Amino acid sequence: MSLPFWSQAGEIARADLRSESRTGEVMAVTIPFGAVALLLIPFGIGTDAPLLRQIGVGIYWAVVLLFGMLVALRRSAAEGPAQRDLLGLLGVDPAARFAGRALSTGVLVLAFEVVLGPIAIALYDARITGWAWLILVVPMVAAGLALLSTLIGSIVGGSGAAPALVPFLVAPLAIPMLLAATQSLEGLRLGESILAWLLLLAAMDLVLAIAGVLTARPLQEVR
Amino acid sequence: MSDWGWVVFGYAVLYGTLAAYVASIAYRLRQARRRLGELQ
Amino acid sequence: MTRRRIIEIAAIAGLGGALITALVVPPERTQGDLARLLFVHVPSIWIAYLAFSVTLVTSALYLWKREMRWDRLAAASAEVGVFFTGATILIGMIWGKPTWGVWWTWDARLVLTAVLFFVYLGYLALRRSIIDPVARAHRSALFGVLAIIQIPIVHFSVVWWRTLHQQASILRPGPLQMDPPFRSAFLASVVAFTFVYVALVMRRMQLGRLEDEIEVRLASSHQEVAGAAVAPPRIEGAVDSV
Repeated sequence: MSLPFWSQAGEIARADLRSESRTGEVMAVTIPFGAVALLLIPFGIGTDAPLLRQIGVGIYWAVVLLFGMLVALRRSAAEGPAQRDLLGLLGVDPAARFAGRALSTGVLVLAFEVVLGPIAIALYDARITGWAWLILVVPMVAAGLALLSTLIGSIVGGSGAAPALVPFLVAPLAIPMLLAATQSLEGLRLGESILAWLLLLAAMDLVLAIAGVLTARPLQEVR
Repeated sequence: MSDWGWVVFGYAVLYGTLAAYVASIAYRLRQARRRLGELQ
Repeated sequence: MTRRRIIEIAAIAGLGGALITALVVPPERTQGDLARLLFVHVPSIWIAYLAFSVTLVTSALYLWKREMRWDRLAAASAEVGVFFTGATILIGMIWGKPTWGVWWTWDARLVLTAVLFFVYLGYLALRRSIIDPVARAHRSALFGVLAIIQIPIVHFSVVWWRTLHQQASILRPGPLQMDPPFRSAFLASVVAFTFVYVALVMRRMQLGRLEDEIEVRLASSHQEVAGAAVAPPRIEGAVDSV
């Protein structure tokens, strides 16, 4: 069986999303959990409107980062050695399996961002300048987070420690995404050029995609 | 606290944590040797 | 006298010598006695970088050669590296409180050292979560290689971020004068810490070898012969013929 790479990846992504639509963990649990987080934070730091307006964008992106990576840990994405071997026997390219998994995770993280965005804007009275640029920033962050968490998820494997370990490993390495997202919006607010941050995001997405593809076959062979 | 106080504090923390780390390795080595002895 | 014993003695002697030179040197012009903390703070981060580099290189070597000793060295160096990174942060904070009045500033260097600490810790946590030695070696080596790819991006973004939000120059330490007495105190610390690093890594590798040996013994002693549970059917009153 030798479907072209992107067809394989697309099929896997479609199967993932179909499986997720059945269990609905992301829509029913992860996204509402993110909304609860946004709600919870002012309980701790105070509800002073100017303060919330100032930090709202940053809090939103921090929540996207910390909770968004849980999307990669959704149960419908859990892959035991049996499923891996089955796909291997079917002749699925491990790199395509990675790409498909990252794709489906990316779509779900995008949904996470899109649903929580208006909630954050409402709760924190965040004022956004340069809305159009969000078309670039939001998907690139989703892609980066999906690629990084899928990659780390593959490296950690199916051990029981994965739900706690994967976020711990992802968080420090995801810092550039958080910085690029917040500094882009900050730059837009101040009327400065944000091209450099966008290029950083794009570069990171590319690097992670390549790393994922390169490590897919070695990881296929590990127990 | 005087500057010298901070210096002494700093060196105490450094050498203290180093001693603790060395002790932990020594302890784990002893445990491992004993375990290997049991398994012979 | 084994090589390891020599290095351990050198490490202890070196630490003693470094301590004495650091305390005997005259106070620095701008920072006074507090500069003595920098004699251990800066070498400590250098050794942490060394340890980190060793982990990364040996991770790549393991993936290439598949020899367990590279994995053992990667793990040993990472553990010692966590120690030195943690020590760097602690000494930095103890130096910072009387100098700046605060335990922590969001200066790029400090932030990046903290990030390095957590990435190292993550590497060790990953190793702890995997029981099978080969899978553990494989997966942690891949994580090590991922880290070397991603960390420069983290470094670059953090430095850039802090440049945009430049702190008041009052908080930045002035350059340390490097007259001969200071240079020798500094060098003494660097040499001493290097010996300490090598000594610790050698002992940690010894521990790793012993633990791997224990794994092997445990695995072979628990293995039952396949089919041991299957006994031949017995008829009442029958006598074993063999």
